[in-house]
Amino acid sequence: MADPLKLYKILTKLYPARFREEYGTPLQQQFSDDYRDAAGSFARLAICLRTLRDLAISIPLELARELRQDLRYSVRIYSRRPGVTFLAVAAMALAIGATTGVFSVVNALLLRSLPFRSPERIVQLGYAFSMPESVSAFHSWRSHSNYLEDAAAYSRADVNVSGAAEAVRVKLTETTFNFFNVAGSDPEIGRAFRAGEDAPGKNSVAIISHGLWQQLFGGDPRALGSTIRLNGAPLTVLGIARPGFDYPSKTAVWTPTVFDHQHIPKSGVFFFLCFGRLKSGIALAAAQTMFDADRKVIRDPANPVKLIPLREQLAGPVRSASLVLFGAVSFVLLIACSNVANLLLTRITERRKELVLRTALGASRARVVQQLITESILLTGFSALAGMLVAQWAVRIATASQPVELTAQTYTILDWRVLSFAAGLAALTGLIFGVLPASLIGRLQPAEDLVRAPSCGSNTRVQRLRSALVAVQVALTLVLLGGSIVMGRSFLKLLGADLGYQTDHVVTMSVSLSGTRYDKPSKIQYYRDALDRLRNVPGVEQAGAIDSLPLATNAFMAGQVKLASGRAIGTVIASSATPGYIGAMRSTMLFGRDFTASDQKGSEQVAIVNAEFARLAGESGTLIGKKTKSPVGDADVTIVGIARTVRYFTNPDEKPYPTMFQPSEQWPLPFMTFIARVHGKTEAYLPVCRDAIQSVDRQVPVFGVKTFDERLRENLARPRFYTTTLLFFGAFALLLAVIGIYGVVSYSIVQRTHELGVRIAIGASAERMRFLLLRQSLLPVALGAAAGIAGALGLGQFIQHLMDTAQRLDGVTCGVAAALLALIASLAVWSATQRILRLDPLEVLRAE
Amino acid sequence: MSRKDESSVQDLLPLSPAAFHMLLLLGEGERHGYALKREMAKQTKGKLNPGPGVLYGTINKLLEQGLIVESEERPASHLDDERRRYYRITPLGRRVAQAEAVRMRQLVEMAEANLGLPEPA
Repeated sequence: MADPLKLYKILTKLYPARFREEYGTPLQQQFSDDYRDAAGSFARLAICLRTLRDLAISIPLELARELRQDLRYSVRIYSRRPGVTFLAVAAMALAIGATTGVFSVVNALLLRSLPFRSPERIVQLGYAFSMPESVSAFHSWRSHSNYLEDAAAYSRADVNVSGAAEAVRVKLTETTFNFFNVAGSDPEIGRAFRAGEDAPGKNSVAIISHGLWQQLFGGDPRALGSTIRLNGAPLTVLGIARPGFDYPSKTAVWTPTVFDHQHIPKSGVFFFLCFGRLKSGIALAAAQTMFDADRKVIRDPANPVKLIPLREQLAGPVRSASLVLFGAVSFVLLIACSNVANLLLTRITERRKELVLRTALGASRARVVQQLITESILLTGFSALAGMLVAQWAVRIATASQPVELTAQTYTILDWRVLSFAAGLAALTGLIFGVLPASLIGRLQPAEDLVRAPSCGSNTRVQRLRSALVAVQVALTLVLLGGSIVMGRSFLKLLGADLGYQTDHVVTMSVSLSGTRYDKPSKIQYYRDALDRLRNVPGVEQAGAIDSLPLATNAFMAGQVKLASGRAIGTVIASSATPGYIGAMRSTMLFGRDFTASDQKGSEQVAIVNAEFARLAGESGTLIGKKTKSPVGDADVTIVGIARTVRYFTNPDEKPYPTMFQPSEQWPLPFMTFIARVHGKTEAYLPVCRDAIQSVDRQVPVFGVKTFDERLRENLARPRFYTTTLLFFGAFALLLAVIGIYGVVSYSIVQRTHELGVRIAIGASAERMRFLLLRQSLLPVALGAAAGIAGALGLGQFIQHLMDTAQRLDGVTCGVAAALLALIASLAVWSATQRILRLDPLEVLRAE
Repeated sequence: MSRKDESSVQDLLPLSPAAFHMLLLLGEGERHGYALKREMAKQTKGKLNPGPGVLYGTINKLLEQGLIVESEERPASHLDDERRRYYRITPLGRRVAQAEAVRMRQLVEMAEANLGLPEPA
């Protein structure tokens, strides 16, 4: 059996250092007396138990008391140097805050649980299947699958919901009956769809999202059983989904109508999608092999279909970028840490005498270390609290620029993972800063140190350590600057890209006639009236409409076009446009003419193609007057014009799409976006233009009323966010590095005052001394820069790998960044050495 | 006693039972820690019998508050144990203990008036 006295001695080590030093011996002695005096083993056991209770009560009490004292002392120490303290807190708050903010994004996208049962087994099968001929064929396929436990088909559309207090436009997902079963999320109220409810005739039912339930019915459970109209089609509400469940893509209504496409009138392009739940015990790789062998899967050698795990699909386009940001922000944190470590080292050296004195007066090393760790944890703890504000702000910006797919994924710092991350960061950095200076304290020899000049011995070690920290900072800063340059260049290219049209002074707005009283001929009349009214708005110069407006569309109708020459052009976008559209866009007709009012139903079927179409056709102006087939449908059309190729997205590396425009009166579609080019302040025209179109028919909602510039801004928001964030991180890192370098030089001047004074006294000029210091200080900068350039080149490649639009980072740019950093560092050193000019050698020598 | 002193005395009240007892015992004369504990246990018939941690925690607190100090004087060498530390009460400690006793007397009076008190057994 263990000796209770020894055990007690070990347990007393849990007391804080000062208490232990003061009372360690009496504590052990009392326990030993009590134990010795106890008669019999039962009494001894009772003493042991009572002592354990005593330890459990007194240890936390003493820890709290000593912590209080140390904290009070730390506050006094910090308030003595408010400048340094502020700098350290600001640097750490920004770094911890930014890191926490970015972590909250990573947490939402990659870590936090999703509102699905075993989400790790859900995979997206993408556009892997062609639409089966019937719902029963689909169910037969999925129930016989050897790798899927279950699968559901779905397609998405935007629809107008009416029937409750107000009409709203929402996202609809049409599914098979088993959608909620595959997702593993039963509705919160009511029930999921039942087998057979996805068959025509039984499918006039819907499940609505928790958000829509609140919005339309104010959370009234009587919503169950009530009727809502989707684009006019009546449906009975069967259930309300759980809060946070709005898969896919913020869906507000689910209906079991994916195989009964006409049931809810819609416009636009539809994709038949599929997602499934893997059978338990089947790994993703194995499932992929079985999936590849599945005879129902569409084979496309150019675009092989991959099973995408749900979390990856949801993180989608922002995943890589978020990881890049997380990497960058970790660098900022490291830089801030080395900076604060530097500042604290200065303080420790300044306080060396005090610490030596305390040691001489009997404070043990443990006691001094405890004080130093308390000081640094106080600093980082306070910084972490301030950092929460920065994190909150970062989260808000992230939400605006990189929206998530699912409400449950929302970025927040009020999540245990994020909060523990921030607390962990604070504790870890605090401990490092506490332990680092404490490791230097370990060598204090009171007797020697009190009599020795402060500039010798371990101060050289401190100075070396500080130089090393500067080198690390420079290297990390350069890597960040390199990253910023890569992103900045890409963004400049993005901004400079010629879209092929002008977005200024243009109002845009959309209408959808699906489910309204307009049939094919009356649609034509509606668009004609709407355009007339728009053109009559005072200040509107030109107006037109198109079904797929650049920057506003990401789904197109497309098909192959076979030319009379026999040449075929694959994937030609088919677009329905009104006369005046190309003019209002300020795009150019290269050959031929624009549509006119005479291009009507019944007149000759005409088309305008873009320059890319002409290029692929191997012709230019000679195409005018030639007949060809439309990419959608069998109509023969005569090409009457060739327009300039425009970009549908902002990506400058986007492949130009061959496009064929047909007059809206000859090919009327239920969905159109109007554009109006106006004089003066564009925003002022938004309500006027909306009212003009709304006045044609109050029952047709006009939505997406925005300026074209706003659409461009929205498209650029994400790259702008990444670029500005990286630039901010780069600039912040540079600032920290400069402060670090300045600090090291200032400190070394203080340390070497005596030496400098002697040198000047025996004839060296102050200028020469400054150059000497400059040379010495730039050595760690140069070493750091060399490592930084290598890192930046590596990171540049990494970013390029992660983000398609990123530009290459070349050695020259890196060299320029390094030179810039060295220049700024030299300026910092030069200004720090200014005090040498004021140095009076006589005074220095006298002081010694 | 000035008003400031009075308020600093009042700020330290109420005392914990162990602290109050220690001050009372030290009012009689200097003692070392273990002696304090033993007498406290004896006087309270074992009701107050602090373990080493609570005992020295209380002593530490009383020292910090300036209610007791470590005594320089040691008993005769044949009675002394070098490892023991002796404590004595300070004038402030005496005033605080008195103030605590007054506070308790007021409590007893209130209890007597409101509840009536039985004679001690």
